[in-house]
Amino acid sequence: MSDSRLVQADRPTVTRRSFLKVTGAGATGGALLAMLDARQAPAQLKGTSLRVILWSHFVPAYDAWIDDFAKKWGEQNGATVRIDHIPHLELPARYAAEFAAGAGHDLIYFAGQILTGQYYRHLVDLSDLANDLGTRYGPWMPSAKSAAQVAGVWYAVPDYFISIPVLWRKDLFESVGRPAPKTWDDLRVAARLLRPKGHPTGMQFSHCNDANHNWRALLYCFGAKETDASGQSIELDSKETREALRFAKALYDEGMTPEVFSWDDASDNRYLASGVASWIHDAISAFRTTEDTNPKVFKETYVLPEAAGPGGTWNVGEPNVWAIWKFSKNVPAAKEFILAVANSQKEAMGASRGYNMPFLRRRYDKPMPGLGQDAKLGTLQEQDKITAFFGHPGPMTPAAQEVLTTFIVPDMFTRVARGASIDETMKWGVGEIRRIYAKHKAT
Amino acid sequence: MGHLASGGGRSPGASLSVPVGGRAKALPWWRTPSVRRYLFGYTLLAPAVLYVGVLVGAPFLFSLYLALSDASVGAPVARFVGLENFTSALETGVFWTAVRNTLVFTVGAAVMKGFLGTTLAFLLVQPFKGRRVVRGLVVIPFTIPIAISVLGWKWMFDSQFSVLNWALSGLGLIGEYGTPDWPVWLGQPMLALASVMFVNVWRSFPFSAIVLLAGMTSVSPEIIDAAKVDGATFMQRFRKIIVPMIAPILFVGAAFDTVFTLSDLSIVYLLTNGGPDGATEILPTLAYNTGIRGGALGRGAAISLFLFPLLLPAMVLLLRTLRRRQY
Repeated sequence: MSDSRLVQADRPTVTRRSFLKVTGAGATGGALLAMLDARQAPAQLKGTSLRVILWSHFVPAYDAWIDDFAKKWGEQNGATVRIDHIPHLELPARYAAEFAAGAGHDLIYFAGQILTGQYYRHLVDLSDLANDLGTRYGPWMPSAKSAAQVAGVWYAVPDYFISIPVLWRKDLFESVGRPAPKTWDDLRVAARLLRPKGHPTGMQFSHCNDANHNWRALLYCFGAKETDASGQSIELDSKETREALRFAKALYDEGMTPEVFSWDDASDNRYLASGVASWIHDAISAFRTTEDTNPKVFKETYVLPEAAGPGGTWNVGEPNVWAIWKFSKNVPAAKEFILAVANSQKEAMGASRGYNMPFLRRRYDKPMPGLGQDAKLGTLQEQDKITAFFGHPGPMTPAAQEVLTTFIVPDMFTRVARGASIDETMKWGVGEIRRIYAKHKAT
Repeated sequence: MGHLASGGGRSPGASLSVPVGGRAKALPWWRTPSVRRYLFGYTLLAPAVLYVGVLVGAPFLFSLYLALSDASVGAPVARFVGLENFTSALETGVFWTAVRNTLVFTVGAAVMKGFLGTTLAFLLVQPFKGRRVVRGLVVIPFTIPIAISVLGWKWMFDSQFSVLNWALSGLGLIGEYGTPDWPVWLGQPMLALASVMFVNVWRSFPFSAIVLLAGMTSVSPEIIDAAKVDGATFMQRFRKIIVPMIAPILFVGAAFDTVFTLSDLSIVYLLTNGGPDGATEILPTLAYNTGIRGGALGRGAAISLFLFPLLLPAMVLLLRTLRRRQY
């Protein structure tokens, strides 16, 4: 008896469908690579228009740069580009409205709040673009995939992340005999010594972005995990989390004032620039603000990429990614624009004064624009090695996103700082997180 | 069958033949006077019904649909889950905190607005030089875009640079910066809730005053004078004459104010975003952060629909009282 499957296997397997698939993909890939080499957009962009939405960057000079870049890119390619900048916290509402209407911007941007997992069914597959960029400038940082991929498909292209290091005052540390900080314990001791001298520290115990990132950094440095690597199992209920909460309580009691309960994202910038803070945990926009407003304090301000904890050194970044609606009226131009910005990453990073940290490893070749020439900021040139994002070590799933936007983690720290028991707080926080994950699993 | 004798060539003086014992030809039902009258009335009413149906009814039904489903921002066509979203909300502590804060916020602000609005209305109804200018100025808080005015207050409540604190400290009424006597307006739970309520009151009490003022100016001065002659005190005139006469206006104003306050997202969102640790969390901010920022549309819609049973009794009571007074 013959086995028909074996006979079939011996036959040539090229069908008309597979032939078209292979040649089509080859032609597309080839064209893209050719364009990458030539750095020139295809002719079909001429006469088209492209609407882009971006957040209002914390470094206004970057907004000016990208607007000018878009204008020039449009002129070179015969396309009209319009960029709308809106506050990052308003982006999710805008996307919900655009999605409901089935119309809006051709090229969108998830800033801090990563909605790739929510919208991926309605986003264009950008795997060709992301893979090519990975080949050219990569590899991608592993965490980049968590922001942009769903089931191995790139539905977004990572642009940059915002790093949130420790900014500390050398003169104040020296005044109490403390060396340059390396660990969270060093920071705590310094805060304890400096608060009585009128120089407390501060991290937000409130409902703002920085609170979400800062306390997560402490959690991860203590070895705590939000979920397992798959993002399916919640792992926050651990002794590491309890230790982190205990440490935060001590840090608050010894080194902070109640001001931190009211802070927004910019309060710590002002705290440093005013000369009051002994150290803060914030993006380098605070460093730049101080440079512009208080040169004396700026001269004494130094940068630590992240403080080490018993569980390692983990800096929590704020990711930013590009995406394209399937209903976009100009997908080719949107893809070309992403590519053009990625190709100009060095200029972009320079325009942001070192603020926009790349996701692509080879972009970390020293000296990095905005950082490499600066003796203090030069320490941030290896930030790719210590950066994690919310949900760590799991991916940025819709469930992780909801935990982020409902501020459960900062609220846990707030409760403990205010005197609630760690056990009660853990029970509450983990319970809330479990409820959210259970809901997302059910859908 | 009876008929009316008619004809184009009827001559003057010709008799009109009226059948005796017959019946007039019955009009079709849709042409009867009562039906035509109703039809005319409903035609006039139709635009308003259509307006309410499209702009109020449809969104309400859509949010009901969302609340009964597992819809998310990326998948609005979703599975029916019954009352699961509602029970899920009821199970969380944050929800109950939000309900409590919403009630405190609405009732507290309403009481303060009532008191301040009445006081201001009485002041503005008095004749004085520049009254028209002052009347124009008092509505400024209500007319400034809410985002701008709230950001102004955010600065005034700033933990470090609050102009209020520095002024109070300069006057010796509070301690110095960095001491425990330095209030952190948006950081201490009670103070934070009071602060967001204060901004709501600051913004809206001129509206209450203007509503009251409009009512008061419609009360005939002769009636007030007669009451004065009869020996009625200020409070008696206010309670027994002014309030009953302007009650319809007061009720409508109160209804508007309750709806606006209960659904006010902007002030809390911009000042505290519900923090610290839910101290200022209200149903609108919780619904927004869950449904839009968190992407769980179904649960967000369910949380926002809890405003409905809070509003409904208040509205029914107000409108029924208003109707009783009118008829």
